[in-house]
Amino acid sequence: MNGFVHTRVHDFIKPKLGGRSLSDDDDIFALGYVNSLFAVQLVRFIQREFDFELTSEDMDFDNFRTVDRIVRLIDSKTGARTTPEGRL
Amino acid sequence: MTRSEPAEAVRPSSSLFATRIALRSPIPLPLADEVERRILFLSSDFADFDLVTGPVGVTGVTVYSAEPLDDAEVTRKVNTAVDTEVRPQFVTPAKVVWRSPVEREVIEGSFEKLARAGAVIQTGEGQIAMGEPLLTLFQYFDRALVELLKSSFKVQQYQYPTLISTATLQEAGYITAFPHHLLFVTRLHNDIDVYREIQSTYADAPLDEALLQSCRNVDYCLPPTMCYHTFSQYQGRTVGADGPHVVTALGKSFRFEAGYATTMERLWDFTIREMVFMGTRAEVLGMRELMMTKIFDLMRQLGMSGHCEVGNDPFFGSADTSDRIVSQRMMELKYELRLPVGSDRTISVGSFNFHNDLFGRSFGIEHGDGGPVSSACVGFGMERLVYAFLCQFGLDERNWPAAVRSHVQGQAQTLHNQRIGNEVCINERP
Repeated sequence: MNGFVHTRVHDFIKPKLGGRSLSDDDDIFALGYVNSLFAVQLVRFIQREFDFELTSEDMDFDNFRTVDRIVRLIDSKTGARTTPEGRL
Repeated sequence: MTRSEPAEAVRPSSSLFATRIALRSPIPLPLADEVERRILFLSSDFADFDLVTGPVGVTGVTVYSAEPLDDAEVTRKVNTAVDTEVRPQFVTPAKVVWRSPVEREVIEGSFEKLARAGAVIQTGEGQIAMGEPLLTLFQYFDRALVELLKSSFKVQQYQYPTLISTATLQEAGYITAFPHHLLFVTRLHNDIDVYREIQSTYADAPLDEALLQSCRNVDYCLPPTMCYHTFSQYQGRTVGADGPHVVTALGKSFRFEAGYATTMERLWDFTIREMVFMGTRAEVLGMRELMMTKIFDLMRQLGMSGHCEVGNDPFFGSADTSDRIVSQRMMELKYELRLPVGSDRTISVGSFNFHNDLFGRSFGIEHGDGGPVSSACVGFGMERLVYAFLCQFGLDERNWPAAVRSHVQGQAQTLHNQRIGNEVCINERP
């Protein structure tokens, strides 16, 4: 798993957790920490932060439920080449 | 100023004017419905429209109007709505979660046949009167849906008033989400001077919009659906200690639409059978899924064609409209059961909705385990359901599924028995 991507995704979600912990395989939406509009905020964050466009096929909700799956999606789109300096 | 042109070139025999405007950039074709459902709400001057499409998507709109329109004004209205509400939407994959194994040939011109038979009468825009066999079919489907619900859950049934308080709709977020569908119930302001003025002004003159100046009350609306009545009923309560709550109601619902089809496909005044589930997130999601399974089984057993797909509500006009739509589709908060009513079109006859804790929060309904209650609802447009059935099976009872025929015959027998009973009573009167 790409450590930088993982950290950035966690950082984005953290303000919503109210100090509670979040495991990488926790369903962010099922835990009730976020409202449904957060799904779109997450999509916008991913596109902006990692500089790529998600396709219609990527917009499957399962891709956004957990930190693990979000990181996997980003890695698959960027070829796991994302670093703190940006895409190589 | 560029003006509209007569529309004969685009629509022969049309007496309307056509104004063709270009979108700032194309909108992907999968979002064409989202453009379509907005156009007639953008101005009451817009009588009709066509989308201009090409390989790259929707590139423009031709608006038809009774009077010539200012090109720049049409361009502004259309592009503003498209840019703020449609363009930011992500295209989500079309997702069908159920498809009937039956492919039934739909009978074209069903509404005209029903009208000729006197079974439906168009009484106004988006309004119809129904006679037989629609009344019996309406009763059959309503009973079938309630029985499916009761066979799985402990259910409370209610009949709600026709009016709903505007404050309830505001708490539900309806005013910001769906301002275009709102229907206020106003009245003359109760003041003797107002009544006298109206009596003298309109003694011999037709009523007009100036009358509204004497109507200051907007405290009640016509309900757009039944579930807001239920959430209002539960306001401030805590549920959950005795398990999830299930409430159902049948009631008249009203949504203003800027354009109505001259059929039963889109009505202004219609009836919803609503089922509301309140409990934990897992409970209400499970209940929604169970009802979906049972209703799909009913459709299959009756031999009806159709499918169920991810849908979204017609949010309109607010800053977060596009985010709401995308969230709803992404998270599969809404599924629509769509039945064919023509060779090339389906209508949504029912929806299966998960609200998360939105209404628990809005109405202060708590769950026994702490925090706001989660809710879901299943709603059926009864007139549409009956109409789709008739489009698929026709008016001849002999072609209907056995379960429906049996209900119809049972109803006929009940009526016959009642008639005999009445005659006996009359004959036995002293």
